[in-house]
Amino acid sequence: MHFKKFNQWGEGLLWLLNPLLIILAIFNDSTKINLGLAWLGKFHPLLLHFPIVLGIGIVIYLVFFAHQRLASNLEKSLFVGNALLATLVALFGLFLSKQDAYDKTIVDLHKWGGVAIALISWGFLYIGDIKINWKKGLGVVYLLVLLIFTHKGAQLTHGEDVLSLPHPAPAVAQEANKIDSNITVYEKAIAPILEQKCVSCHGTEKIKGKLQLNTPELILKGGLNGNLLNIINNKEALLLQRIHLPNTDEKHMPPDGKLQLTLEELNLLSKWVKAGGDFKKKLNELVNTDTLSLLANAYKAPKKGEDNNKNNSPDLKQYNTSYCTVYYAYFGADEVFVDFFQGSFYKSASLKKLEPIKDKVASLNMQGMPLTKEDVAMISSFSNLRKLNVNYSKLTLNELAPLKSLLKLKNISICGIDLNPTTLASFIENAPFTLVHIWNNKTNEKEYAALMASNKKTKIIIGDNLDNEILKITNPVIEQDSSIIVNHLDVTLKHFMKGAVIRYTTDGSLPDSISSPIYTKKFQLTKSGTLKTKAFKPGWLSSDVIEKTFYKSEIHPDSIYFVTQPDKKYAGKGAKTLVDYELGEQNFSGGKWLAYKDSNMVFITSFVQPKQLNHANFNAFIDMGAYIFPIISIKIEGSNDGKSFKYLNEAKFPSLEKTNMFRGNKSFDCSFPANKAFKYYRFTLQNVKKLPVWHPGKGTPGWIFVDELFLD
Amino acid sequence: MKEFLEHGLNQNRRKFLSKLSLGIGGLALGSLMVPGIFDASNEEELFTNVLPHFAPKAKRVIYLFQNGAPSQLDLFDYKPLLQKMQGSDLPASIRMGQRLTGMTANQTKLPLAGTKFNFSQHGSHGAWFSETLPHIASMADDLCIVKTMYTEAINHDPALTFFQTGSQVGNRPSMGSWISYGLGSENKNLPAFCVLLSKGKGNGQGVYSKLWNNGFLDSIHQGVQFSSGEEPVKYLTDPEFIKRTDKRVMLDEIAALNQASYDKIGDPEIVTKIQQYELAYRMQMAVPEITSLQNEPESIVKMYGPECLIPGTYAANCLLARKLSENGVRFVQLYHQGWDTHGNLPKEIEGQCRDVDQSSAALIKDLKQRGLLDETLVIWGGEFGRTNYCQGALTKDNYGRDHHPKCFTIWMAGGGVKPGVHGETDDFGYNINSLPVHVHDFQATVMHLMGIDHERFTFKHQGRRYRLTDVAGKVVNEIIS
Repeated sequence: MHFKKFNQWGEGLLWLLNPLLIILAIFNDSTKINLGLAWLGKFHPLLLHFPIVLGIGIVIYLVFFAHQRLASNLEKSLFVGNALLATLVALFGLFLSKQDAYDKTIVDLHKWGGVAIALISWGFLYIGDIKINWKKGLGVVYLLVLLIFTHKGAQLTHGEDVLSLPHPAPAVAQEANKIDSNITVYEKAIAPILEQKCVSCHGTEKIKGKLQLNTPELILKGGLNGNLLNIINNKEALLLQRIHLPNTDEKHMPPDGKLQLTLEELNLLSKWVKAGGDFKKKLNELVNTDTLSLLANAYKAPKKGEDNNKNNSPDLKQYNTSYCTVYYAYFGADEVFVDFFQGSFYKSASLKKLEPIKDKVASLNMQGMPLTKEDVAMISSFSNLRKLNVNYSKLTLNELAPLKSLLKLKNISICGIDLNPTTLASFIENAPFTLVHIWNNKTNEKEYAALMASNKKTKIIIGDNLDNEILKITNPVIEQDSSIIVNHLDVTLKHFMKGAVIRYTTDGSLPDSISSPIYTKKFQLTKSGTLKTKAFKPGWLSSDVIEKTFYKSEIHPDSIYFVTQPDKKYAGKGAKTLVDYELGEQNFSGGKWLAYKDSNMVFITSFVQPKQLNHANFNAFIDMGAYIFPIISIKIEGSNDGKSFKYLNEAKFPSLEKTNMFRGNKSFDCSFPANKAFKYYRFTLQNVKKLPVWHPGKGTPGWIFVDELFLD
Repeated sequence: MKEFLEHGLNQNRRKFLSKLSLGIGGLALGSLMVPGIFDASNEEELFTNVLPHFAPKAKRVIYLFQNGAPSQLDLFDYKPLLQKMQGSDLPASIRMGQRLTGMTANQTKLPLAGTKFNFSQHGSHGAWFSETLPHIASMADDLCIVKTMYTEAINHDPALTFFQTGSQVGNRPSMGSWISYGLGSENKNLPAFCVLLSKGKGNGQGVYSKLWNNGFLDSIHQGVQFSSGEEPVKYLTDPEFIKRTDKRVMLDEIAALNQASYDKIGDPEIVTKIQQYELAYRMQMAVPEITSLQNEPESIVKMYGPECLIPGTYAANCLLARKLSENGVRFVQLYHQGWDTHGNLPKEIEGQCRDVDQSSAALIKDLKQRGLLDETLVIWGGEFGRTNYCQGALTKDNYGRDHHPKCFTIWMAGGGVKPGVHGETDDFGYNINSLPVHVHDFQATVMHLMGIDHERFTFKHQGRRYRLTDVAGKVVNEIIS
């Protein structure tokens, strides 16, 4: 083939492959590759040596011989060939990196190094006629990049100490997985953890904080912050302090972003350090039932580069239903949490379906599920269960007994289940539980005092039981917004507590628990009076008396007009507001009140035919905090021509005391001699002209708020 | 010159463009191997799929928001010095130029006002409580009391919005919405975020739906406000003539139509709509069963106080909160209004405490006795604190307090917090002496307890990544057990 043709094709291919390389490198973590590409990946170690040799050749050419230029076609072919090889090697490298788990930091460095090499190699095609010294410089940079980053690759396959001087292999047993009767706890379970999670920064490669963790001698030596394993000044050993700090703490080890210790590994390290951090102790010297021995025996050292935090967790979607939620405790966790909701939809099948993941379930919430014995048998096979909630599961304590076989089950809630101190004692005897919640509406602390005192291992949470406490029942509710009876008025009474009895009277007497009528259904009021209601229930103190006064509007004036005008903000719908059968509300700016401050309220009612009245009743609002005071007096005068009025009567009302910060409606009555009929009646309602000294507004006039006048 | 350059680089525009097409081909080829590279929605999934980031301490939150700002000086933060200096002016060396609200900025004097209530210590940490909170005080050993909260806002609305959304300007998602977005609902038949309102007799400040808004998140994450009437969720019962199966068929058909218009227009709100219809359908079955308070045993009623059977009271909301929470609602948010005690504080605060004391304590007890407290985080607190000086006239037994953002007390219980007292304010109860906790720190800590790293939990909106804690917030490790 002609050089020129090769160059053309090669250059084109480079323009295709390099963007591909870049995009795959950026999105390396989410790339998915097929078998064919995976196979190509295998060629990475085979091909990589070509561009290295060729690259070094180019560097030599650039640094020493660039002034005697090769024929430009030949030079270009050299560059094209090198760039193509470098790009392919980098691409294959990306494919390869997807197949095996390597140390991510080194892989990342190597990856970007590879990409840089490919891109610089490509760049050589376009350096053209730049100055010789520039070429030399470029050559040196290229050489450095080439050496540093290919070395990273070598570390991946040949170990981190690939180019260090040969030294006798440390005692850290590579064959730690073999159960050798003479193996030490350190070799079996501690060294592999340190090797996988710590040594990359605290080893021969990097020595952060002057600490190395790759041999027992170096571990004992400690680092910048001193001894690792001993308790100093009553503080936990430094190693344990650091690994138990929260992830967000700067001093937490391994640092955020690095591979973290699993729960099992944390336990192992703690137990080992607390047992003295002995490097010589053999596994078979420990008592079989010792926690450290159990943990160490069960520990399987990960293969190099394997990430035991993020195993290939099965998808949990299939276990989820509308009433059962199954999820990993957190991202990358092996533990599964299961919550069942809404007992009326419970199906045993949802529980049975968990069979394939039964060893992963660590927390199970079945509150309110109607469980059967079979369900309990199923739950008893969840060997790693730590927390279980079977509150209100309609089972007996006997039926729950199989749960005692779950050795890891520490926290169990059995609220609402029938029990007594004897049955509970046998339930927690020889059980693994350390915390039992037993609340139901019969339990009481005293009964269990002896059991709690004798049983230190299991903490029993009884909770509060106030069944015997005697409290006051809440008040009944009168359900009728209107207080004005036109012909008749329906009234409904209501209480929110089941079993509460409401008794009521309409004659003004107080309702009692014996003779007053019991409310059963809606009734009708036909005349003015006060409805008084009270709620009763066995085991409770009776409620307050709730009362409401109803007014029957007997006489309706034919017209009504103001002599003094109300305040503009509170003028209602004019004078007819007084007799519109609608009572003002608690919200005094609701437009249903007539209010006066700067003058007395004076108005006149008129009848076409003279009418004999003997009683007037005003409903007024009082809120002394808001300067709204009671009416001081009501004066009534009568007239037949509307001009000269005859004094009939005046009622005076006591002012409220400071201590009585009353807020609400109050009715003001005024009776007068009923011996003559008049066409016109003039009413004068007097307000407080000067508020008392104790009031913040002392000296200024007080408001009166009036709505609805009842005449008879 | 151009020719020289082109020659030197062995390159010109035509060559470059023709080669570039190859490059684009390479990019395209690469993109085939990276599933979802051009799929914008997947980007957000990358953020939520890894949640929780680490083992959560709490599965659920119940936030008892005391709206209006309870006075820490009359409830938790005992300052005898104020009683000694009753009536004397707040020293400038303590105020240090702190801005005041318009309500007291014009007062000629800022007379210090000691609390009128008796304080005593409770629990193994010796936490102080005023006599107005006997029930909460009895739970002292379960409470993590943070005495050194501080905020940036001095008025209710921005302060509330800041607490709930991490920003004083109200267009960001609420805390519950973030949790709903990140962790989803535990029980598929209930919303992940529910809101319950109640009102005390004290001076009230409004609450607005923007406080439980989803902001830029899908509207499915909006807090569902339960009505305070007898029917917490309205219109759940179908009309007589509609059968459940008919309804199902109808929803399926509507969903098909919605799906078709989504395929055409691509507005994500349409998908949300489909989800909301589905949720409402499932809620029809779940809500009546869960919200019925009638079947609670009498002993529970007595624990929360008999008021808990009256719909719309704080006590009823506490009981409802337990029921929703134990049925898998991630975030239950209560608001109790009426704590804005500018005047007449002694009387108003007594009323407010009567409303909340027994039932707040009962909620903790109840969760504890059922074995749920360790997985449920209960938070109690307002949006800021109240001043150590009196607003208006100071008399022997009456005073009022203005807004104070520089220190206030909240408490938490359960869900992985460490019982005890965190931080200390100065003797005037005005500044923080040690261990300050900013609102963003508090939010970061709540997120942390739920297994979320607040810095990694973001949502991209209008070209910027947002998070609950804005660009601040540090987890308060000292209060985590």
